[in-house]
Amino acid sequence: MKPSMRSLRLYLSNKAYVVGVPVITLFLMVVISVFIALVMGIVVGLPLPAAAEEGFRNNVGSLTALPGFLISVGALAANRNFAMALAFGSTRRHFWTGTALGFAVTSLVTAAAAVVLLALEKLTHGWFIHAPAFDVAAMGSGNYLKTFGMIFVLSLLSLFLGALFGTVFRAFGTVATTVTAIALGVVLMGLIALGVWQRVRVVAYLADWGLWSVVAMVAALIAAVAAASYSANRLATF
Amino acid sequence: MTATAVEASGIRIQQLRKSYGSLEVLSGLDLSLEPGRIYGLVGPNGAGKTTLMSTICNHTFPSGGTILVDGENPAENAGVLERMCFIHEDQPYNEAFSVGSILHVLPTFYPGWDEALAQRLVARFQLPLERRPGKLSRGQKSAFAIVISLASRAPYTFLDEPYLGLDPTAREIFYEELLADYGAHPRTIIMSTHLIDEAADLMEQVIVLHEGEIVLQADVDEARSSAYVARGLTDEVRAFAAGRNVIAEKSLGRILSATIRGQVTAVDEDKAAASRISIEPVSLQDLIAALGIHTLTSALTTENR
Repeated sequence: MKPSMRSLRLYLSNKAYVVGVPVITLFLMVVISVFIALVMGIVVGLPLPAAAEEGFRNNVGSLTALPGFLISVGALAANRNFAMALAFGSTRRHFWTGTALGFAVTSLVTAAAAVVLLALEKLTHGWFIHAPAFDVAAMGSGNYLKTFGMIFVLSLLSLFLGALFGTVFRAFGTVATTVTAIALGVVLMGLIALGVWQRVRVVAYLADWGLWSVVAMVAALIAAVAAASYSANRLATF
Repeated sequence: MTATAVEASGIRIQQLRKSYGSLEVLSGLDLSLEPGRIYGLVGPNGAGKTTLMSTICNHTFPSGGTILVDGENPAENAGVLERMCFIHEDQPYNEAFSVGSILHVLPTFYPGWDEALAQRLVARFQLPLERRPGKLSRGQKSAFAIVISLASRAPYTFLDEPYLGLDPTAREIFYEELLADYGAHPRTIIMSTHLIDEAADLMEQVIVLHEGEIVLQADVDEARSSAYVARGLTDEVRAFAAGRNVIAEKSLGRILSATIRGQVTAVDEDKAAASRISIEPVSLQDLIAALGIHTLTSALTTENR
């Protein structure tokens, strides 16, 4: 077996954790959305009227539900799996490539689950009560490919961000991890400020390219974070 | 095997240094470990035992010096590292995994993994497979590390304080299984331990680390015969020990036990008998404790390098 595949197998050795939980999280997000719609329905009636349904199309639950858990998966993999892989005779390089492949598997399965949930949602016209959770603006308004793309890059970014924190911790300790978190926060705020400052250009750009431009920007971020994580991993110690 | 191959096999370390900030843990250490032997790595806490093993296995980076394993630098060398297994005494595990799921994935890391041995050890140590490693008791964690280390059949197996927390029965299981498996599948085993006398029968060679330097590397039998204990009334023992290389003394009331470096001659035995002094073999534990607390003479250090 190729050395990278060993770390991939290690990452996937608890499939319920690295594949099952993200899918269940998306399902629970639907359950919570439906529950909120049911509560609203007490007032506005069920199925939800068009105005309320339109409000649900601004739901970003599908985007916010995943990152927290996936960041922790990435951090634990880069920290604990790393220590295990080293103990079992792996190189840093093969650990990183095997784990990165594992991140891709998690992201693919999660994105595929989102597409399946979107199809079910369309089939049942918003879970029988006109309460969309995936057929929303932030996910491409019901476009399967865009939904897949958004969830895939979001999952991958979350996992690599977690891995970056985990690797920086292994390589440089707690102070450097805190500094990295603060630095990333500053960069994020800077990007937001830049977007607001250049809002006319940004809006025009988004209008031309739509959601794919967001996917492309997140993909570029993934490349940067993955490169930083790889570099830190080369210096990580037990 | 050709002379060159013999030269290239095993672990060769030259001038190995490792510092953490201003703290120098290993200071210019030279060490040569022949393949296919069991080495006991002993020394006081903080002597650098775990650091030495971590550096050999590339778990941490050396500050200077060279390490060769079978003639190759182990740093990021998949061909060398995949022949090593080193479970740290405080080994971190991903707590999302159970003991069973970790054991399940290990055959992918070790082509020589012995599943039957792993299952037998799990049963003998009564390891709960469904439990998370973090929920294991101290003794169970040690047993888990022993299961992985022995079943891996890694040509270079490092054991970091394998006895920690093990009860006497579990320790006996470890001795039995280690010797039986080593007998059937000889490989290089490097074991750090504090239970020196108990582990002495397992070791073929003992390596004593003190303040980042190797102060003794010798076959166990040779080390035991390198000193002796003279026990008797304090004045008599002091008179007997005068001019000899006394490396440790213990008093109990009027009785003094002096650990003396060197061989006992027939003349010494007669002289001791005349002074009602008993000459006894030194235990490995006492010898190493003496080396640890005694300011070593340069002669002693040089003699045993």
